[in-house]
Amino acid sequence: MSSRKQQREEARAKRLAEEQARAEQERRQRRLRMLGGIAVGAVAVVAVLIAISSSGGTSSVPTGAQAKKTAASVETLLSGIPQNGTRLGSPNAPVTMYYYGDLECPICKDFSLSSLPQLIQNEVRAGKVQVVYRSLQTATHDPATFSTQQVAALAAGQQQKFWNYTELFYNQQGTEGTNYVTGAYLAALARQIPGLNVSSWSTARNNSALAVQVQQEGQQATAQGFNATPTLIFQGPKGKVQPPDAVPPYSELQAAVKQVG
Amino acid sequence: MRALRRESDGWLTSAIAILCLIGIAVAGYLTYVHYAGIKVLCISSGGCETVQSSSYAKLAGIPVAVLGLLGYITILILISIRGETARMATCAVAIIGFLFSAYLTYRELFTIKAICQWCVSSAVLMTILAVLTTVRLLRADPSG
Repeated sequence: MSSRKQQREEARAKRLAEEQARAEQERRQRRLRMLGGIAVGAVAVVAVLIAISSSGGTSSVPTGAQAKKTAASVETLLSGIPQNGTRLGSPNAPVTMYYYGDLECPICKDFSLSSLPQLIQNEVRAGKVQVVYRSLQTATHDPATFSTQQVAALAAGQQQKFWNYTELFYNQQGTEGTNYVTGAYLAALARQIPGLNVSSWSTARNNSALAVQVQQEGQQATAQGFNATPTLIFQGPKGKVQPPDAVPPYSELQAAVKQVG
Repeated sequence: MRALRRESDGWLTSAIAILCLIGIAVAGYLTYVHYAGIKVLCISSGGCETVQSSSYAKLAGIPVAVLGLLGYITILILISIRGETARMATCAVAIIGFLFSAYLTYRELFTIKAICQWCVSSAVLMTILAVLTTVRLLRADPSG
């Protein structure tokens, strides 16, 4: 009797253990399925994040209505202001702002598209400030690409269109590291500039003096201890000053002009 | 058995909490660097400044350091909540953080060609967190 009871109890215990093991296994499988679901969901979320992250720029010069609008706004900003090489504004303007830049630098783009246009519209147009651009390699990885793109801008400068070229470059700057600066890209920018003789510009790009100029500007900047872009130096009768912010708002630019002018 | 599990889970949860706190410190520092008027410029050094000034330092205008900070805080809050849903959510946030960190590290190495040691530290933390939160989800006690 007792042995039968014992047997029954053993069988029950066994059944319970089996049930528990089955439940445990089901639970484990359910969790693995859950984990699979989480992984798929996570991949989908990150795919969206990556798509947003890489959509910041373009790898070729935009065409169509948007490009025309950009070209027109650059033309409006600069028309009537004297240019000579990398200088924008009257040579007699008492204050000079030296702008050390790299055409591929996204912070230079920020500056060129935020407060610089206001300075150009007001102080430069009024003949109070002249802006002189100097090449300094920072964001561009490849020295040869850097030289090629800065020379392309200097070549436009031989037709007094350096600033048109530079502004268009910053306005249509591509995504960092995507090697978007190709011959086609540089030529497409040149074609957007009204009144630029593209074939003369192409010839000027082979002028070795311009490559030497890019190199010398970089060396001079390094010798002065500049290693970042944009570096902005205001020079006038009362001395030299550098705005405190990396991308100074217009009020800081005005203050700097006042301080040295 | 059950007591043992709960104990080991407690250990896991503490480890996750500690990693989150370290992550908050790292992402907090990077957020501070981004906002505190420290100059973010284009520099040819190939270091943290280069990474911070790159176009990948922001996602739709939000610095990625802020996203990281929010991620660590979310994980820290979620591990204090009981239940399977919270464990799943913890795991999901950590895996998203891990995958996005992997993408950013890829961009550092192959696109920006510069390495920021702070960003890499955060990526390592997120990787460990993804592993630990997964283990925590799989071996969880059904009651807790």
